Amino acid sequence: MASAKKKKTSNIFFAKGGMDVTFFLLLMTIVTIGLVMLFSASYTYSYYNRNGDSTYIFRRQLLFTLLGLAGMYAISRIRYEYFRLAAVVGVFVSVGLLLLVLVLPEYKPGFKRWINLGFTTFQPSEIAKIGLILILAYLLEKDYKSVTGKVPSDLVFRISNGKITVYQSFTKVILYGLLIIVFAGLVYLENHLSGTVLMLGIGIIMMFLGEVRYKWFVVAGGVILVAVIFLVANPHVLEKYAGERITAWLDKDYDPTGARWQTNNSLYAIGSGGFLGAGLGQSKQKHLYVSEPQNDFIFSIVCEELGFVGASLIILLFALLVYRGIHIGLRANDRFGALLAMGISFQIGIQVALNIAVVSDLIPNTGISLPFFSAGGTSIFILLCEMGMLLSVSRSNKAKE
Amino acid sequence: MKKKPTRNMSLRSHIVFAGFCLFLLVLIGNLFWIQIVKGEEYRLKAEKNQLSDTVVNAHRGTIYDSNMKIIAQSASAWLVYINPSKISSEEQKTLLVDGFAELFELDRETLEKKVNRSESGYEKIIGKIDNSQKAQLEEYIKAHKDQKLSMIVGIDPDTKRYYPLGSFASTVVGFTGSEDTGRSGLELQYNTQLTGKSGRIITAKNALAGDMPNDYATTYDATQGYSLQLTLDEVIQYYLEQQLAQAVEETQAKYAYGIVMDIKTGAILGMSTMPDYDLNYPYTISSSRVLEELEKIEDEQKKKEEKLNAQFSQWRNRVISDTYEPGSVFKLFVAAAALEEGIMTPETTYDCSGSIKVANYYQHCFNHKSHGTQTVAQALPNSCNTFFITMGQRMGKEKFMKYFKAFGFTEKTGIDLPSESVPVAGKTYYDVDRMGIAELSSASFGQTFQITPIQMINAVACIGNGGKLMTPYLVSKILDENGNIVSETTPTMKRQVISEGTAKLMAEYMEQVVVWGTAKNAYVAGYHIAGKTGTSEKLNVPGENIASFAGFAPANDPKIAILIAVDEPQGLTTGGAVAAPVAGRIFENVLAYLNIDPQYNDEELAKATVTAPNLVGKEVSKAKLEAAGFTVKVVGGGSTVVSQTPAANQPMPKNGVVVVYTEETAQKETATVPDLTNLTVSEANRIAVNAGFNIKISGTTQSGGEVLSYKQSVAKDTVADQGSVITVYFRSSVNVQD
Repeated sequence: MASAKKKKTSNIFFAKGGMDVTFFLLLMTIVTIGLVMLFSASYTYSYYNRNGDSTYIFRRQLLFTLLGLAGMYAISRIRYEYFRLAAVVGVFVSVGLLLLVLVLPEYKPGFKRWINLGFTTFQPSEIAKIGLILILAYLLEKDYKSVTGKVPSDLVFRISNGKITVYQSFTKVILYGLLIIVFAGLVYLENHLSGTVLMLGIGIIMMFLGEVRYKWFVVAGGVILVAVIFLVANPHVLEKYAGERITAWLDKDYDPTGARWQTNNSLYAIGSGGFLGAGLGQSKQKHLYVSEPQNDFIFSIVCEELGFVGASLIILLFALLVYRGIHIGLRANDRFGALLAMGISFQIGIQVALNIAVVSDLIPNTGISLPFFSAGGTSIFILLCEMGMLLSVSRSNKAKE
Repeated sequence: MKKKPTRNMSLRSHIVFAGFCLFLLVLIGNLFWIQIVKGEEYRLKAEKNQLSDTVVNAHRGTIYDSNMKIIAQSASAWLVYINPSKISSEEQKTLLVDGFAELFELDRETLEKKVNRSESGYEKIIGKIDNSQKAQLEEYIKAHKDQKLSMIVGIDPDTKRYYPLGSFASTVVGFTGSEDTGRSGLELQYNTQLTGKSGRIITAKNALAGDMPNDYATTYDATQGYSLQLTLDEVIQYYLEQQLAQAVEETQAKYAYGIVMDIKTGAILGMSTMPDYDLNYPYTISSSRVLEELEKIEDEQKKKEEKLNAQFSQWRNRVISDTYEPGSVFKLFVAAAALEEGIMTPETTYDCSGSIKVANYYQHCFNHKSHGTQTVAQALPNSCNTFFITMGQRMGKEKFMKYFKAFGFTEKTGIDLPSESVPVAGKTYYDVDRMGIAELSSASFGQTFQITPIQMINAVACIGNGGKLMTPYLVSKILDENGNIVSETTPTMKRQVISEGTAKLMAEYMEQVVVWGTAKNAYVAGYHIAGKTGTSEKLNVPGENIASFAGFAPANDPKIAILIAVDEPQGLTTGGAVAAPVAGRIFENVLAYLNIDPQYNDEELAKATVTAPNLVGKEVSKAKLEAAGFTVKVVGGGSTVVSQTPAANQPMPKNGVVVVYTEETAQKETATVPDLTNLTVSEANRIAVNAGFNIKISGTTQSGGEVLSYKQSVAKDTVADQGSVITVYFRSSVNVQD
C-alpha cells in the first residue's frame, strides 16, 4: 500500500512522507478492540457506581481516544527532528511534574500518583515515561562516539590533574544511570512500584539500544537480580503498600478478602474463560468481583470473555505492533529517530507484558495499566500522542524513499 | 553528527525483541495453564462466588386420619442466620449475642463462637421460629439501625411441623427432629414420601450480594412432600385413647395399650399406648407420675439419664415394639388348630380335675379350680388350662408349631411402622427342635414365648376373618399436593390359616366367653361380642401382670377386632377384670359409631334404652298420654309443655322419668345425683328413678348377683337436672380370672 501523499511540498516543519500504514492499521485494530473491551468491562462498574449509567466510563474513554487520535495525527505531521527540542524541555517538565505531584494533596489516600485537573486526573509518570525516552534518545545519539568509543573524560582528567584517565564510556553511562535513577526514584516516591520498574526498564532498554557496552548490562543485571531477590525475601523493607503486594504474591492464601481479592478474582475470571471464552459481554466476574475491571485488570475480563484464543491473539497483535515499531526505528534517518521509535515501542511492550503478568499472577500486583485497553483519559491521550511521534518517524522514512 | 542506525543497534533491538517475545510466550503459556489446564477449577471457584444457591424447602406432606382430619401439618416458619464475615465491630458482636440470647433463649457461649467465625459467610442461629418471633427480631434490628445489623442478619423461610391434635395417636404418628426428618412412627416410616424434594434457586450475584442486573436465575421447583391418609379414624382413636387413659388412671398401671382393627382389610382404625405425649413437645415428659419420680432423683447425672429413658419410653409404640407372654388368650389358637386338625371336635370332652401332671410337676387351672367335664365350648369361657394342655399334647409339637407359624407368631406382621419387634426362634419362642413336653404344655396356654400385641390382634382378627390372615397397615393412601392419589394400599391376605368353618365355630365359642365366661365384662347389650381374656405374668417384673383382652364383633359378622392390654395394673389384675371392661366400653362406642345396629335379645330388650318422646308444644294431658310407659313429672301450672328433660330423642330407659315444664320461667327441677356404684342393675335403677334420674346401662347385665355397677357417668353428689340420663357401668367380679 503506497499511500504516500506527495501533494505537500517539502516543508521544514511538517513531515513529508506518508505514515507507516501497517503500523497504523495494527494500532487502529488494537485501539478498536481496546475500546470494545473497555465498554464490556466497564459497563457493570459504571452501572453500579454511576447510578445505572452503564456507558459513563466508555463515553469518556471514547472522547479521549478521539482527542488522542487527533493529537496523534497532528504530531505525526511534525518532523520528528523537532522532538529533540522537546527532549530537552521534557526533562524539566517531567522532573517538575514528578516533584509537583509529591507536594500536592493526595488524590487517592496513600498514593501521590495523580494530579487532579478538575475535569480529569493525570499521572505525571505518563509524561515522565516519554520524557525519559526522549532525553535518552537525544543523549545517546549525541554521545554516540563517547559512549561507544575510547574518549577520555576531560572533566575527570582535569580534576585529577591528569593522574586519572576515565573514559567517557564510563562517565556518560554513570550520568545516564543517575538520570534514570532520578526518574525512577521520583516515581517510587509516588508510591508507584510498577511505574518505577517501568522507568528502570525503559531506561535500561534505551541504553542497551544506544549501544552502551554489554558489560554494563551484566553488572546492572546482577545488581537487579540481587535487589529483586532481596526484596522478595524481605518485602517489609519496601513501603507497606508495596511490601504487602509482594507478600500477597508469594502467599496465595494471604488475606483472600483483601490483598489477594483482586488477583484471585482475576484468576477466576481468566480461568472461567476457558478456550473460547464466555463470549463478548458475558463476563460474570466483572460484576464487582474483579475490582475496577476497566482499569489494570481489564485483561482478565478479556480472557473471560474471549478465552485463551482471544487473549493470545491480542498478545500477538501487541507483539506485531512492537515489531513494526522497531522496524520503523531501524529505518529512521538517524539514531534519535531510531531510539525514539524503538523506545516508544518497547514502552508499550513492557507495559503489556507487565500488565498481563500481574493479571495472571506471575508477578506481584503492582498497578500497571494495559495500553489502549485500560480506562484512563489522559493515559490514552498521551499514549496516542506517543504513537504520533512514532508515526512521524515513519513519515520521514517514507519521505526518504 | 546524525548517524544512521547501525547494524549493532539492529542486532541489539532484535535481542530485546526476542527477549520480549520470550516473555510473551511465557505469558501465553501461563494463560494456557490457567485457562485450559486449571480452567475448570477456577470456573467452579468463580461460580461458588457468583452463584447464590438458595434452597427452597419442600413442604413436608400432611398426615390425615381416615376422614381427612389433619393430624400432622407443616406450616411456614423462619430460619435466622448471620454472615459473620460482614461483622466489622465489637459493638455489633455484642448486640447480636445479646439480641439472640434474649429473643430466642439461646446459649451465649455458642452464639459468641458463631459471631467470631469471621471467615464464615453463614452461621445458622435458629430455625423454626414463628411470625411473632420474626417480627421481634426485625424490631430489634430496626432499633439498632445505626449498627447496620441488617447487613449481617438474614431471615430465610423455613417450615415447622405442627400436630393440631396434640397427643393424638402420638406413638403411632411419631414426630420430626431437626432438618424436618421423621424420628419415629409414621413420620419416620414414610419420611421419604413425606419429605418431598427441596428445590433450589440459583441466581448470579454480584460481589455485594445483589442480583446481577441482566443475568440468569435458574429455579428448580421444590417437589412438595406427599401426604398420607391413614386408616386411623379420629373418632375410634379418640374412644380408644380415652378408655386407655382412664384404665391407666384407675388401675394405676404403668401402661395400657390397645388396637382397633378392621377385620376384613387389616386396616388399623385405632392404635395407642398410654401414657402418650404431645407431639408438639415430644421432649416434655407427659406422665405426671414419671415426672414426680424424676424429681425425686438427686444426682443430676442420673436424673439426666433417667429423663432420657423416660423420653424414649413415652415415644415407644409398645403395641409393636413390646413383647409379652399372651397367656390364656393364646388358647384360642390351640383350640382353632385342634379343631382344624381334627384333634378334637365340638363334641370332644375332657374332664378337668383342676390340675394335670406334666413331666414331673403339676400344672393348675386358676385357683386350682376344677372345671369338670367340658367341651371346648365350655373350656374356652372357663379358660381351662388342663383342657388346652391336653389338646396341645394331643396335637404334638409339630402341629402346634405349624399353627403357631401359620397365625404369624414367628414373623413380623409387616405393619408399616418402624421398630416392630422381630421374633427369634430359640429366643422369643421355642422352635420344634428345642420344644419338650413341658414347653409344649405351657405354650398351649400361652406361656414360654413372647409375642407382640400387634401379632396377637392380627391372629385374633384372622379368626374373625374366616381364617384369612391379613397384613395390618396404617396408611391407606398416599396423596400428592393436589390431593391426587399416588398410591393406595390394597389389603393383603397372607394366608388362609384355618377353614371358614373352624373360624365360625371359634367365633361362636368366643362369644360364649363374653356372654358368660371370663370376658363377660366386655359384654355390650345388643351386640355379639367375641373375645378371650388373658393374664400373663411379667417375667422380668416379678409379681406384676399384663391383663389383656382380644376379641372382635359382631361375632356373627365380624367387623372390628380389639386388643386391650393393661401393663402392671394394681388391685384387680386379671384380663377379665381389668382389660375386658375397657374393651367392652370401646366396642359399645365404636360399634355405634360404625352404624352397626344393635340386635337386642328379649332380656336385653327389657333393659334396653328407647328415645325420649317429643312432648314440647303439646297439651299436658296429651303429653301424658303420649308418654305412656314413662313416669311423667309435670312442673308448673301451664297447660302446654314448653320444655322437657331429657330432651326429645335422647336415649333413656323404657320406664324412665320425663320431667315436663309448662311455664317458660319455670326453674329447672334439680336433684343431687346419688351414688350408683356397687349396685345391681335393679338396685341402681330404683335408686336413680327415686332421685328423679334415668340410668343407661353399660357393660354386662347377665342375671345373677355377681354383676355390680362400678362407675357412673355423672359423679355422685353433683346437682343435675331431674330426668337427666346417667350412664352406669356394670361388671362381673365372678369367674373373670383365667
